[in-house]
Amino acid sequence: MSSAAPSRWTGDAMIRRVRRRYAAERWFKLLGLGAVGLSVLFLAFLLVTIAAKGIGGIDWALLTGSDSVDPARAGVWGALEGSFLTIFVTMALAFPVGVLAAVYLEEFAPQNRWTDAIEVSINNLAAVPSIIFGLLGLAVFLNVMNLPRSAPLVGGLTLALMTMPVIVIAGRNAIKTVPPSIRDAALGVGASKMQVTFHHVLPLSLPGILTGTIIGMARALGETAPLLMIGMRAFIAAPPGGITQPATVLPVQIFLWSDEVDRGFVEKTSAAIIVLLLFMLAMNGLAIYLRNRFERRW
Amino acid sequence: MSLGIALVAVLLIALGAGWLGFSRARGMRAAGRLHSLPVYHGTHAALWAALPALLILAAWAPVQSSLVNQSILASPEGRALPAFDMQREAIIAEATDIAHGRLQQGYNPQSTALAPRIRSAEQRYALLGGLAAIAIGIGAAGLALRRSTPQFRARTGVERWLMVLLFAASLIAILTTLGILLSLMFESLRFFRLVPLQSFLFGLEWSPQTAIRADQAGSSGAFGAIPLLWGTFFIGAIIAMIVAIPLGLMSAIYLTQYAPPRLRSWLKPILEILAGVPTVVYGYFAALTVAPAVRDFGMMIGISSASSESALAAGLVMGIMIIPFISSMADDSIAAVPQAMRDGSLALGATTSETIRKVLLPSALPGVMGGILLAVSRAIGETMIVVMAAGLAANLTLNPFHSVTTVTTQIVQLLTGDQEFDSAKTLAAFALGLALFLITLFLNLIALRIVRRYREQYE
Repeated sequence: MSSAAPSRWTGDAMIRRVRRRYAAERWFKLLGLGAVGLSVLFLAFLLVTIAAKGIGGIDWALLTGSDSVDPARAGVWGALEGSFLTIFVTMALAFPVGVLAAVYLEEFAPQNRWTDAIEVSINNLAAVPSIIFGLLGLAVFLNVMNLPRSAPLVGGLTLALMTMPVIVIAGRNAIKTVPPSIRDAALGVGASKMQVTFHHVLPLSLPGILTGTIIGMARALGETAPLLMIGMRAFIAAPPGGITQPATVLPVQIFLWSDEVDRGFVEKTSAAIIVLLLFMLAMNGLAIYLRNRFERRW
Repeated sequence: MSLGIALVAVLLIALGAGWLGFSRARGMRAAGRLHSLPVYHGTHAALWAALPALLILAAWAPVQSSLVNQSILASPEGRALPAFDMQREAIIAEATDIAHGRLQQGYNPQSTALAPRIRSAEQRYALLGGLAAIAIGIGAAGLALRRSTPQFRARTGVERWLMVLLFAASLIAILTTLGILLSLMFESLRFFRLVPLQSFLFGLEWSPQTAIRADQAGSSGAFGAIPLLWGTFFIGAIIAMIVAIPLGLMSAIYLTQYAPPRLRSWLKPILEILAGVPTVVYGYFAALTVAPAVRDFGMMIGISSASSESALAAGLVMGIMIIPFISSMADDSIAAVPQAMRDGSLALGATTSETIRKVLLPSALPGVMGGILLAVSRAIGETMIVVMAAGLAANLTLNPFHSVTTVTTQIVQLLTGDQEFDSAKTLAAFALGLALFLITLFLNLIALRIVRRYREQYE
């Protein structure tokens, strides 16, 4: 049989059917590309809008000045210093506590209800709205413990409670990736459990922990709502002198300026946003670099 | 002497004890084999010198401040202070600032008179607590050093302390959760003493301005939370999700199933940047660019009452903020479906899109649902976008071009004015916070449980 009659698999109906299925396939793929493209486009639109409004506002006065009622003299240095002090407090508290808690949960915690409760509360805390931490800070640090209002100390404490669960979760994932053979080898030559953990497991998981920590810190740096709750929204015309002095932070400064009716502040706000975004980008870039450079696949 | 000096002294004692323990153990090496390395002997002595003393200092600091407070209230200058709490607190705070050298002169002459009292009382009590801490530090260091013999298991002792430290660190999470719950409940209970629970939960009207004068009109202070909850739900769970779920899900599908690796390695970090943009930036963008555009669009299609603080603008921007979150959750869930299922479907002749729609998505559905619930929980707790772009008017409306208000907006609004702390207005913020916490807790627990069970299914 040289020229067969069209079989069930080569008939017109079948060809049409296959063509339709392939068309659907192409549409689906295009839809996916469209979704990604739309998201990227939005980011580009946001960045271009802000840059176009703010690039003219970046000058020496912006980078060295503090808040002022006169838009020509207002700058972000005071807020930036407040941000640094706050993040410093956050880092100093959340990093050690977060890493130690991760080590405990991953290496030492017994399997019981108590550990379950700790785990559930950490996972939940990572998803609690940030403004709730602000209410906690207001009720506990300001009203019960009488710590100074508007101070980077209180802001840092509040953000540390918020960042700690993020560090714990990142830390646990990093510790999990260290293969058991490392632990067995160290235990085999006579190291104690504690020595295995602190001499071998922790150093090997440090890049992963640091990546998670930097991402958590970047989030804390951009956080506004909880700091509004503890009063870091006052008009402060001088850079803070210490962690107990009244201060404001860069995101709050942006929020305050965005409320100003003066036209000059629109440019200032966009310029301050550019400064903030540069810091965020730098931190996230550092985290990505660390992840690619130091993370080992076992 | 201040407690700061005592702190430094304790640390110095610990350093000295550590050095002493280290060098004594090194000296003992000649006598025979040590159980622990000298550095453990040193650390052991230092820990015993430092930790109990530091605990005492930490416990003493709040005790001291209340003792100082009592003693100045008992002094003649203290008794002359006004009885009204707020005024008295302000004067005492000012006097404390003068006593610490932060202020030269108080606005109130009473505070200048009070300052020397505070200074002497603080010195007296700090001397007491500081000396106690130092004595305990020295005593504990001495005891620890006396036990230091070649057989002494210093490493075990150090590790026991480390274990305590590790456990304490893990307790912070539970303490934070408890702290949130207790502080919110405590303030909310005070609120519900002023405003009955059912009128908060089921009230249809929200206008928290209480009258300053009795004859003022229209400011009776209604605390019905329904309009706020509806606004929150409308913006966070409906409008934002209509934007975020299709875009996030399709992005994840494209990135995991279609995108060539090179493109993927570019697109993923870009989405991560989208996730890292601070919310205040989104809020500014929503208020400045999106909201006017939405209002103009509303006018164009004939809605004359379109507000410049519309629910739609805030919801749109919030949805865009959530896209990367949904995308990464969906990414994880799809990646967790076993490769064999995908291969099986492709081998039967299904196209890639048919495999995705008929095999991958249904089996990844629980994980995706968990991710969406977490996204909803994040959207309704999001603050800055709605504070800057949504309105303050508590409307019960279905029209997305109208202004609605949300729980988080109202919390910020209620707490950022200058008012006394005990008014129903400020306490209402805590009641709203409690409601928000409970709703997100509920969503998170369900979502985490779904995600975990789903993960176990394929492991």
